[in-house]
Amino acid sequence: MPSLKSFPIAGQRQKLWRGLDEHGAPPAPSRELGAAPPPDDATSRRSVLQLLGASAALASLGGCLKPPDEKILPYTRQPPEVTPGNPLHYATAAVIDGRATGLLVTANEGRPTKIEGNPDHPSSRGAVGPLEQAELLRLYDPQRLGVVQHLGQPSAWRDFLQATAEKARALRDSRGAGLRFLMEPGSSPLVGRLRQRLADTYPQAKFSSWSAIPLQQIHDGAQLAYGAAYEVRLDLSRARVVLSLDSDLLAALPGTLPAMRDWAEKRDPANGRLARLYAVETNLTVTGMNADHRLRLKPTHLHRFGLALLGRLAAQVPALSRYAPLQQRFPLPPESAKFADAVAKDLVAAGRGALVSVGPRQPPVLHAAAHAINAALGSACAAAARPVLHDTNAGPRTLEQLVEEMRGGKVDTLVITAWNPVYGAPADLNFSKALSQVPYSVYRSLYLDETADRATWVIPSLHPLESWGDARAHDGTVTFIQPLISPLYSGASEVETLAAFLGEGDRTAYTQLRAFWESERPDHFALNWEKWLADGFIGGTATPPETPAVRHDQILAAAMQVAPADSSAGIEINIVPDYRVWDGRFGNVSWLQELPDPVTKVTWENAALLAPDTARKLGLRQGDRVDLGLRGPPAHATVVIAPGHAEDTITASLGYGRRGAGEALCRGLGFDTSPLRHTDAPWFSPGLTVTPVGKRARLAQTQEHHSMEGRLIAATTTVEKLKETGEELAESRAPLLTAYPGPAYPGYRWGMAIDLSRCTGCSSCMVACVAENNIPMVGKEQVALSREMHWLRVDRYFIGDDTGNPGVVVQPLMCVHCEYAPCEYVCPVNATVHSDEGLNEMIYNRCVGTRYCSNNCPYKVRRFNFFSYTSDYTNTEKMAFNPDVTVRARGVMEKCTYCVQRIERARIETRLQDRRIRDGEVLTACQQACPSGAIVFGDLNDANAKVRRLHEDERRYDLLHELGTRPRTAYLARVTNPNPELA
Amino acid sequence: MAETAIALPPQLIPPPLIEGRQDDGTLNKSLNAYVWQPPQRGWLALFLIGLAGTGVLFSAIAITVARGIGMWGNNIPVGWAFGIINFVWWIGIGHAGTLISAILLLFQQKWRTSINRFAEAMTLFAVMQAGLFPILHTGRPWFAIYWLFPYPSTNSIWPQFKSPLMWDVFAVSTYFITSLLFWYLGLIPDLASLRDSSSSKRARIAYGIFALGWRGSARHWHHYKIAYLLLAGLATPLVLSVHTIVSWDFALSILPGWHTTIFPPYFVAGAVFSGFAMVMTLMIPARRYMKLKHVITARHLESMAKVMLLTGLIVFYGYLMEHFAAWYSGNVYEEHVFFSTRPRGPYAWAYFTQMFCNVVVPQMFWTRWARRNVWTLWIGSVLVNVGMWFERFNIVVTSLHQDFIPSNWAMYYPTWVDFSLLFGTICFFGTLFLVFLKFIPAVATSEVKELNHELHQGGGLSEVEGAHR
Repeated sequence: MPSLKSFPIAGQRQKLWRGLDEHGAPPAPSRELGAAPPPDDATSRRSVLQLLGASAALASLGGCLKPPDEKILPYTRQPPEVTPGNPLHYATAAVIDGRATGLLVTANEGRPTKIEGNPDHPSSRGAVGPLEQAELLRLYDPQRLGVVQHLGQPSAWRDFLQATAEKARALRDSRGAGLRFLMEPGSSPLVGRLRQRLADTYPQAKFSSWSAIPLQQIHDGAQLAYGAAYEVRLDLSRARVVLSLDSDLLAALPGTLPAMRDWAEKRDPANGRLARLYAVETNLTVTGMNADHRLRLKPTHLHRFGLALLGRLAAQVPALSRYAPLQQRFPLPPESAKFADAVAKDLVAAGRGALVSVGPRQPPVLHAAAHAINAALGSACAAAARPVLHDTNAGPRTLEQLVEEMRGGKVDTLVITAWNPVYGAPADLNFSKALSQVPYSVYRSLYLDETADRATWVIPSLHPLESWGDARAHDGTVTFIQPLISPLYSGASEVETLAAFLGEGDRTAYTQLRAFWESERPDHFALNWEKWLADGFIGGTATPPETPAVRHDQILAAAMQVAPADSSAGIEINIVPDYRVWDGRFGNVSWLQELPDPVTKVTWENAALLAPDTARKLGLRQGDRVDLGLRGPPAHATVVIAPGHAEDTITASLGYGRRGAGEALCRGLGFDTSPLRHTDAPWFSPGLTVTPVGKRARLAQTQEHHSMEGRLIAATTTVEKLKETGEELAESRAPLLTAYPGPAYPGYRWGMAIDLSRCTGCSSCMVACVAENNIPMVGKEQVALSREMHWLRVDRYFIGDDTGNPGVVVQPLMCVHCEYAPCEYVCPVNATVHSDEGLNEMIYNRCVGTRYCSNNCPYKVRRFNFFSYTSDYTNTEKMAFNPDVTVRARGVMEKCTYCVQRIERARIETRLQDRRIRDGEVLTACQQACPSGAIVFGDLNDANAKVRRLHEDERRYDLLHELGTRPRTAYLARVTNPNPELA
Repeated sequence: MAETAIALPPQLIPPPLIEGRQDDGTLNKSLNAYVWQPPQRGWLALFLIGLAGTGVLFSAIAITVARGIGMWGNNIPVGWAFGIINFVWWIGIGHAGTLISAILLLFQQKWRTSINRFAEAMTLFAVMQAGLFPILHTGRPWFAIYWLFPYPSTNSIWPQFKSPLMWDVFAVSTYFITSLLFWYLGLIPDLASLRDSSSSKRARIAYGIFALGWRGSARHWHHYKIAYLLLAGLATPLVLSVHTIVSWDFALSILPGWHTTIFPPYFVAGAVFSGFAMVMTLMIPARRYMKLKHVITARHLESMAKVMLLTGLIVFYGYLMEHFAAWYSGNVYEEHVFFSTRPRGPYAWAYFTQMFCNVVVPQMFWTRWARRNVWTLWIGSVLVNVGMWFERFNIVVTSLHQDFIPSNWAMYYPTWVDFSLLFGTICFFGTLFLVFLKFIPAVATSEVKELNHELHQGGGLSEVEGAHR
């Protein structure tokens, strides 16, 4: 039996979190710093902890059933940092398309239960997006591939190593002639070193990267503008006027979290002058929902608009004067011209506060044009920095070269660590067929997916929470990935898979990682290593911004080569990354499948989005089934009418229509966009044919009514009218006229404030709430019946009369904890009652489920367990449960508790210290995840609390104030900053 | 004597309460005959259909309890639907019994005697159907069945006395118990009569046990009459209270469309309306097949049609007031419910069904022809029951599906389990009713005999003439 050793260094802050170190040193006093790690031993403290955690979970879940058959091990000596029942927090990271987001992961008795942002990490600043949070469910997914497969038969890692060793010998002789690596776009320094070593060993081997959502065009644009690959580092904290050209920087996607936080500060009237956002895009995006002005354009017109804008700026900015011909070359229709004139004027006026941001789907010339504008205006919001990725070209062109080699029989061994190229590659490449022609292919994957179907060897991936690694953040900061649990299934990390070709497949990722960093930074390594792991990253490793010279001539030449807009009336396809499953890799995560799309509110599938007028023209209604064809076999889609969408265009998101054998959850949902993607046009293309097939489908949309019906629900105003609005809203926050003296709340008086000006609608809070509160996912059919269980929902309303391009306002809504709660007095069994701190509490085991409380709740934030939604959870899935929160039974009502378990945990801590809970000490899960700081929770009795200040703000109002419910959650009206010229 | 008689135009003379020259013997024979006959083919066929439907009901109940309320179409926002609609509908139907038995007795309406037994039985069976739903519609009926009662539990948890659902428990259980006692008390003399006229020993013992030793002595009659009157007095407030409290389930909430002060009187009137309609629906075929036309005459049917017309008008007034109050209040949520959702929303068809059946159809009872024609009466009363069901649908579902915050608005679609429960309770109700008709005189024989005596002492004249002497 392995000895039980202590956890390393204690936390530096009161919220304890630290790196989980695998090397076994004795407790601190006798620790020998810099001691070499012991031989790798998979059974260590972690596995014991895991066993213990799992058995505790099983014991508690199984109730009075018999104990598990496995031998369980007691703590003979309790490690000093571990108090059963108290969670520990470890810093690690989630890496999506090569960019790391620093995370803090909560572990309860050895099982990770909650993923939060690392407040010190530059890519997170404490916030976290939906995708990163969803990693938790991928860890516990029972459908994960658990065993190495060889030609479809179960095999073992050792067999793979043996086979690879033989292969490697042959490859070494041929200097790696037929060896190709198709990698996930990566930034890991360790993988970089391995690639170097592989290249040394096999000089003729080639590496390429593939992602369905590559950053290639950004790099190509920089190549055009600067003569070298650069990335744009955004700093919205200095922004005054931002133009987004298809750049979705306010959605919680990989790399956007810091921009969202900075932008939120710029949209809070308390912080002075409001920044202004213009969005030019095809489909309504999260960023577009938050824009002050929005122009919708067909995808092929979008970059031409950008070039026309550059032409307009030529007259106003001397440094851009050479671009004047662009204005003639790209004439704009009146609406666009008016928009472009106003934007140009505003950008010039903003000077250093101006920013033109271009989305990764746009052609390089538009990126280059944006570089030219930003540089000419001296923008302080955009800086060029060297890319953090190993391969700056990861798009379809690179893949095309590889496929040609594969077809030509030049590839003998193909190692794929990229995510699922068979599914994600454009259909015209026919990657799947090419792959079957490769005699020896190795694919590393979490699931038995489409690519695994065709690979010779399939190596199960270790989940990031099970493996060691490193990566760079969006700004280049070196970030560490640490395991929190020993692998649930057998598998290998990317490092181990690559190392197999160096004959080092038996060296664990940890050994390699530590050795690598020891060689990289030998000074005080042992001490630093502990700190890096505890912090989760190495400070000061961000790549520095550079100021390369803009090559205006090249940009102009490239721009002049772009043909003027073709105004043919055809319908265009517009393919976008999915907000929930990204490129499809998160398809098997129910939290994300059931998360409503932030814009369309559709769950469990993608759809063909089109503008109301286009739908009318094509004779289509919501829910109609259509065939979309583009130079190939059609895709079978369901129509969703999307206000705000550009005319004559259909938008479809990636990641659906999955066919993998091992991903039962997402198999068959939605439709695959790859027939509509082509190597030369992966994102948009004209010439789409739309054929109604005469069938209809039922969509599972969580919100079906999109108008506020003229009611004061999500209040929105403009900077100019802010004062008047404040006065108008006074009525909606006035004290209640009542003859009864209200209850006194002498202790704590918990309350919340939600700033609609900050909220972008990214929906990260919803996933955080689900993870924190063990909220069950109910499936598509139940969502279609309006039985989704989300305690927190993000409502999205369209405003204005223009259904083509309406205004949008979003509003997160959960239980508002009314002081005079209508739900309480109607419950016949006293199952929902008021606490002396003002929480509206739900007593699950007293509830008999009359649902009267929900009927009488004017906010309809209560959720009912119509079935036993958790009874079919496997034991692995149950490990994701938060032990502090009851798992609700069938027939019971539930709702937001203001994360009462977090309040109680803080109470226990502060009672021991004999003090009150300080402001900011209790963060609700939604508040913690929110990238824009829109949700603030605290004690309203504390005069200095932030929530109290917000409750006294002039923008504050109570939702449905006239009902006299006295909600404890106050809303702050959204303030927009429209340009008077475009009004 | 004849010269003091007031000469009434023939059209004002109501039809007689008892047709033909009857005496105790003929009445006894004709009213109890059905009990002694062997079951007829029609009865058996209906009984088997009823049993099959009852099977459907119990299957639907079993699946609801085993799998959860998810088997129904309910959702959030529509937390209540068929369960509560059916509950209110059946409770409303159950109202006619008390009204006929108690209030009409106190007002000395002679026409009640032939139909009160019928109506009381119908009440009991309707309340039994209604009573299923409050338990069944909860998420955890195994707890709801006793947690709603205030019992001194060891951990000192009491029900929430502020909740109208709590009051429902008392209102409905009181009503059921009182109705049962009242019905049973009225049955005793007839049970004794059955005991005495039975030809088999087994029947004699069975009826004898339930007759509680009734011998028909003057002393018995004396006590019996007092007890019956007292119970009638006790039951009278219940006519008002039960449906008032049921209406509070809605009126005490804050939901637009529910939060309405006119609900108690309008619900009570609606209940009587639907109760009479149900009595009529059952009685018209029963009097024909059971050969009771001589005691349940056109006079009875006409009186009931008049009550339906009156209560129908009150209900119509309730509808008008709801709409008026919504408009007059200027409350956007109220206006939305009464002027957008109901008449123009996705459930507008239900609203217009309600209005047609409950407002338009009863207006035909202004004509004597319609009041005296069994076909118009029967079709009208069936439509009224349909209309009253849809009234509850509009109150419960239509109000819930679009309330304050538009983002949560959603449609409700019933499932096969919902329909099975509605259909099943109708069958179960019918089955119980058939059993009642077979084993117990459908008409209160002793009361009809008493009435017959009263009318004969009046010289066999009509009561209008008798009243003026």
